[in-house]
Amino acid sequence: MLRFYNYDIVFIEIPDEISLAINITGCPNRCKGCHSPHLQENIGEILTKEILEELMCLYGSAITCVCFMGGDSEPEEVVRLARIVRQINKEIKTAWYSGRDKLPEDLPVGEFNYIKIGRYIESLGGLKSKTTNQRLYKVEKLLLSEVVI
Amino acid sequence: MNSQGLNIIKREGTVEPFSIEKIKNAVRKAFLSVGSFATEEDLTNILSRIRISDRMNVEEIQNQVENALMAEKYFSVAKAYMLYRQKHTEDRATRDRLKFMINYCSAENPASGSKYDANANVEKKNIATLTGELPKAEFIRLNRRLLTDRLKEMYGKEVADKYIDLLNSHLIYKNDETSLANYCASITMYPWLLGGTMSIGGNSKPPTNLKSFCGGFINLVFIVSSMLSGACATPEFLMYMNYFISHEYGVDYYKRVDEVVDLSLKHRTIDKVITDCFEQIVYSINQPTGARNFQAVFWNISYYDRNYFESLFGDFIFPDGSRPVWDSLSWLQKRFMKWFNQERTKTVLTFPVETMALLTKDGDIKDKEYGDFTAFMYSQGHSFFTYLSDSVDSLSSCCRLRNEIIDNGFSYTLGAGGISTGSKSVLTVNLNRCIQYAARYEIPYFTFLEDIVELMHKAQLAYNENLKDLKDKGMLPLFDAGYINLERQYLTIGINGLVEAAEFLGIKVTDCEEYATFVQSVLGLIEQCNKKYRSKETMFNCEMIPAENVGVKNAKWDKEDGLKVTRDCYNSYFYIVEDESINVIDKIRLHGRKYIKHLTGGSALHLNLMEHLTQKQYRLLLKVAATEGCNYLTFNIPNTICNDCGHIDKRYLKQCPSCGSNNLDYMTRIIGYMKRVSNFSAERKKEAARRYYSYGDEIGNA
Repeated sequence: MLRFYNYDIVFIEIPDEISLAINITGCPNRCKGCHSPHLQENIGEILTKEILEELMCLYGSAITCVCFMGGDSEPEEVVRLARIVRQINKEIKTAWYSGRDKLPEDLPVGEFNYIKIGRYIESLGGLKSKTTNQRLYKVEKLLLSEVVI
Repeated sequence: MNSQGLNIIKREGTVEPFSIEKIKNAVRKAFLSVGSFATEEDLTNILSRIRISDRMNVEEIQNQVENALMAEKYFSVAKAYMLYRQKHTEDRATRDRLKFMINYCSAENPASGSKYDANANVEKKNIATLTGELPKAEFIRLNRRLLTDRLKEMYGKEVADKYIDLLNSHLIYKNDETSLANYCASITMYPWLLGGTMSIGGNSKPPTNLKSFCGGFINLVFIVSSMLSGACATPEFLMYMNYFISHEYGVDYYKRVDEVVDLSLKHRTIDKVITDCFEQIVYSINQPTGARNFQAVFWNISYYDRNYFESLFGDFIFPDGSRPVWDSLSWLQKRFMKWFNQERTKTVLTFPVETMALLTKDGDIKDKEYGDFTAFMYSQGHSFFTYLSDSVDSLSSCCRLRNEIIDNGFSYTLGAGGISTGSKSVLTVNLNRCIQYAARYEIPYFTFLEDIVELMHKAQLAYNENLKDLKDKGMLPLFDAGYINLERQYLTIGINGLVEAAEFLGIKVTDCEEYATFVQSVLGLIEQCNKKYRSKETMFNCEMIPAENVGVKNAKWDKEDGLKVTRDCYNSYFYIVEDESINVIDKIRLHGRKYIKHLTGGSALHLNLMEHLTQKQYRLLLKVAATEGCNYLTFNIPNTICNDCGHIDKRYLKQCPSCGSNNLDYMTRIIGYMKRVSNFSAERKKEAARRYYSYGDEIGNA
């Protein structure tokens, strides 16, 4: 069970897509310098299948991707939600912004079109920084290829 | 007359104890000035006629003194007293003007110093801009008199008085009341091709080659703009230029742009010759203009996709019998856009304001090539407007105005008739105040508003009659010469304070049924009235005005009068600019067909973003806009200007990438046009700081 704080329509996170980003709370990573510390608390509404359906219905064909921001406390739940997204609309891409440094070994990566990994390290900067440790991958035929933002 | 413990209010608003001695002295002086002397008995008789109540103002007391002198039959003394008052009034007016001059000279910028019509299109204050400011109050008086005289003649004194009442109580606002000229126009330049500028007071013959086209075009825009108070749109600009380039370098010039065609030591290529022409025209037109109080002219141009081109210019014939050619024009349009985008990294260039007109079909852009190109130009950091329409029966040729194209047909005197249009006059209703007044007087707001909107139409018709009079006396050569057409110009009903009115009624300003119903009912009422008052020679439209300074004024006046005011500058959009929960798609929906249905004059959606998107993303958003029926939009990403080294960057940065300085200015759209934020008026600056730029978070930091 995952909870979410809010959602937004974003562009920079996933290049070339219009993404519905859902900000999931209860983040276990505790990165130093985290700029959304409120997402570390276990607050917000439970992200259910119904809510996901409702949001996807609201934005319909205006979005091309659903991006789960966080959810590292329950990766299997993020996978379940990603499957639901594809069940609702197989045209919509799925993305996961994880703060882990490594993906869980048994993660079915094929459930996602994009995966971002890497904790936030203040001295190295975020995904746009040249020195960043974070990586964004595009998943194609179960292979991960790096995407540079 | 018992005056003990009473206070009076002085002209400047201060309160002071009432003194009977002061009245006595004034009366004595008046007697002396006509060689007479006021006895104690005279004074007692005069004073006995005066009634003072607490907090009465000086003017009122002086009026009573006048009446008392008359009643006591001291007519010559009364006359002297009146003349004395008049002289003081004049002195005070001069003193106020001096004070204004001093304040203006020490204001931060011209827009903040301006009293009547703050405008960021004047960059530096100087003796020329000050000279323009001083007579503004006179113009307002004159315009009001002209209009009320006409209203009286057409509808009677009651209607004329009501017009002034509504203006004074700030329920309505007359835009550009500081100018005598009609508002804005999209012109056809065909009369110029045929006869040069003689017919409108210039002295040049028709253009015959590329060089005379460029020089003549600049002159033409200046002449036309000096006879308008607002923008001048030239939708045929690139089409005519293409014609002259083709004449000089061949119809296939665009395929040979690298060819050297210049025998001078510069060895210019065709491409260089063309971009030099762009440079000459654009830089000249962006210069401050003497005839417009040092404002640059407001110049707008349009680009078209193939469908628009064919519809607008399909029947067009140049005076030599040839027709415009799409392939070369399309190349020239693209070349101009790319050149202009590049040039803006060198200099802050505000004009032309550009609009790309695209035809949509089944929720997407019909001309795929132009859809992709439009998205490409946005991704390259170019900021311009896009107009989307399901049929080519309407066009937006201005930074705001949308027009029905009545007749696309070509005429030998008027050229492409469909583009000759504009707005003669804008009269704006303050919806927030209307709704709150209605609530205060317990009148259904619909009834209250209907009454006001009816009167606005009458005022606009009166304006139209005055304009016709001016035309009959030969004062409006633009009309006579066929550049614009009186019957094809709209009388515009502007709206301001719509969002604030909804907020007052407790309606949530989001894409919901309740808000949509409210918007439709208000705008529907205006549209109904527009239809009712439409005649063969008058057309009305309704526009959500950009309100560069009306938005600020209305908020200020309403606040002063104790009304509920939620922000210091009323919105010019259907959403709340500072609301962070409204995302990009929500904004497009809030400017979608549901909301703009009755907004016949249009409103532009400004999507404020922190960072540039990719071409694919812009393309997808254009598709969303087409699906939602959002017909007019632009993307704003503030450009960074370094105050130290002069570097201009298309991105929104906190530090100059060239010299590392933090002394930065930003260029963004104040309303329709782009200016340095430092040129904005003080209130507009605050509003700009509150604008919510979608997606500002540093990424990968969740």
